[in-house]
Amino acid sequence: MGRRGEPYYVEAVPPVDVNKNTEWFMYPGVWTTYILMLFFAWLLVLSVSGCSPGAAWTVVNLAHFAITYHFFHWKKGTPFAADDQGIYSRLTWWEQIDNGQQLTRNRKFLTVVPVVLYLIASHLTDYKQPMFFLNTIAVFVLVVAKLPNMHKVRIFGINADI
Amino acid sequence: MDMALPVVNATAAVLARVSAAFNGPLARAVVFGVHIDGHLVVEGLLIAVIVFQLSRKSYKPPKKPLTEKEIDELCDEWEPEPLCPPIKEGAKIDAPTLESAAGPHTIVDGKEVVNFASANYLGLIGNEKIIDSCISSLEKYGVGSCGPRGFYGTIDVHLDCESKIAKFLGTPDSILYSYGISTIFSVIPAFCKKGDIIVADEGVHWAVQNGLHLSRSTVVYFKHNDMASLASTLEKLTRGNKRAEKIRRYIVVESIYQNSGQIAPLDEIVRLKEKYRFRVILEESHSFGVLGKSGRGLAEHYGVPIEKIDIITAGMGNALATDGGFCTGSVRVVDHQRLSSSGYVFSASLPPYLASAAVSAVNYLEENPSVLANLRSNIALLHKELSDTPGLEISSHVLSPIVFLKLKKSTGSPTTDLDLLETIADKALKEDSVFVVTSKKSNLDRCKLPIGIRLFVSAGHTELDISRLSSSLKRVSASVLSDYF
Repeated sequence: MGRRGEPYYVEAVPPVDVNKNTEWFMYPGVWTTYILMLFFAWLLVLSVSGCSPGAAWTVVNLAHFAITYHFFHWKKGTPFAADDQGIYSRLTWWEQIDNGQQLTRNRKFLTVVPVVLYLIASHLTDYKQPMFFLNTIAVFVLVVAKLPNMHKVRIFGINADI
Repeated sequence: MDMALPVVNATAAVLARVSAAFNGPLARAVVFGVHIDGHLVVEGLLIAVIVFQLSRKSYKPPKKPLTEKEIDELCDEWEPEPLCPPIKEGAKIDAPTLESAAGPHTIVDGKEVVNFASANYLGLIGNEKIIDSCISSLEKYGVGSCGPRGFYGTIDVHLDCESKIAKFLGTPDSILYSYGISTIFSVIPAFCKKGDIIVADEGVHWAVQNGLHLSRSTVVYFKHNDMASLASTLEKLTRGNKRAEKIRRYIVVESIYQNSGQIAPLDEIVRLKEKYRFRVILEESHSFGVLGKSGRGLAEHYGVPIEKIDIITAGMGNALATDGGFCTGSVRVVDHQRLSSSGYVFSASLPPYLASAAVSAVNYLEENPSVLANLRSNIALLHKELSDTPGLEISSHVLSPIVFLKLKKSTGSPTTDLDLLETIADKALKEDSVFVVTSKKSNLDRCKLPIGIRLFVSAGHTELDISRLSSSLKRVSASVLSDYF
């Protein structure tokens, strides 16, 4: 017994992230890898298409938008439903990371990346249309989707559970 | 094409308006002589939002309690996962049932068979002296011990057994375990910890693999029974590695490999251990009471001083025809286990009658060294008889009581190989009353050595038993393998 007769408890500290679907983002070097992938994607677009650097950044920005929007903000659940008994089946990947904790370092990083991409792509295309418009739409959608106020919110019931 | 035209026109019109909005007079302003374009407004807004978000502290959103509707939906949706995956057809085991003692002859499914499936090396199953010692022990102590060794489960017969084994092997001390395979997988984690290096043979059996896994040490495998591979592995691990000098390093091998019937070259292993300063853990379950002039195991067989082997473990369910296991070595090695080895500390101690049986079995071996001569002559005879078995070849050591028959030429598919070998074993049992088994592995077993028919030779087998086995295997393998080879 402890002081004043209250019992002692051994408090088990839960692991940082037990969700196999998101734990990979905890690994060291993931941020660096993410940035390098974007850079090499730009080099690839630049070398394959032969377009201007600004246009290549726009392609990378739009591809990044499409891929991350689909995988982070649209698809729900995990491929490991057998392990987690479906507790994440109604949540997108963005809602699952860091166990729902808002404004963590990982979330801030993932919010800054599309903004930086947008600034690079817009600046290098001299804010010309239609690139500027497309870049703006992409960054707007991604940033809004990542706002803490949008956690578990489905605008107009889009992608909501039936 | 014509249908797409209005869409293209509409998009162009929208973009034109957006451009106009960004370039129009309202979207341009001059602040302190600097032209502020429309895009700068968007960027400024964006950066302001980002800076604001970055400056905020992390928080957990408040949990909204689920509504009744949501709870009902979740309950309706929930489908519990099966407790275990469905059992595949190949994984189903319909093992033959023994209806008498697993001696050289036994009764399987109602008929008497010659038994080459039990590791009764010295033929001590059913030995009168051992049975008598068990009966008197049962009368004196009852059946179980009802407690671990440290909690009133130590009985005088356990201490007798430990000192008997230590004296027999010529080691300072030994420690008794209540279950054969738990011996090795308790001993390894008792000494090897996270950060330690273990160099193990790739052919070690499941109990050793489990011990390696439980230890959480760094495990490096070398090629099966290949001393050049062991030497190069030790060289790679230690050459220029300052850290390796400071951490504990072990070599883990079996004396006779259950998965191949090969014998480990202990003299060479000891030479390498001393050169690279590793410790050796030797698993002697299949060589204790079998190898060496008087059955004292691999060290005696190679003439290596036993003190050069740091830790020796063995199960007593083979040559000694009892159960449980032991670990032997220096007093420090043994004493460490009494507080740090999970199988010893937490398991109820070995039933006293089994300890009595072990003492009697060792006494019998000391008094009747001729039993080893019988065993060796049976092994030699079996090798001679099976040397020309169609489609099969012996891959085990000539002194190993595990005679391992594998396909001369694999079909290329492990499943097909196993099916063929299972068919041979099945036919031998059904048609010729010869009981043999394949080395079929569990899903848990990570050993990648080829499978085969594993024959356990006993000193209790007669020449007639061996010739019956060989004629059966020759006939059956010729008929089963004729389509393949």
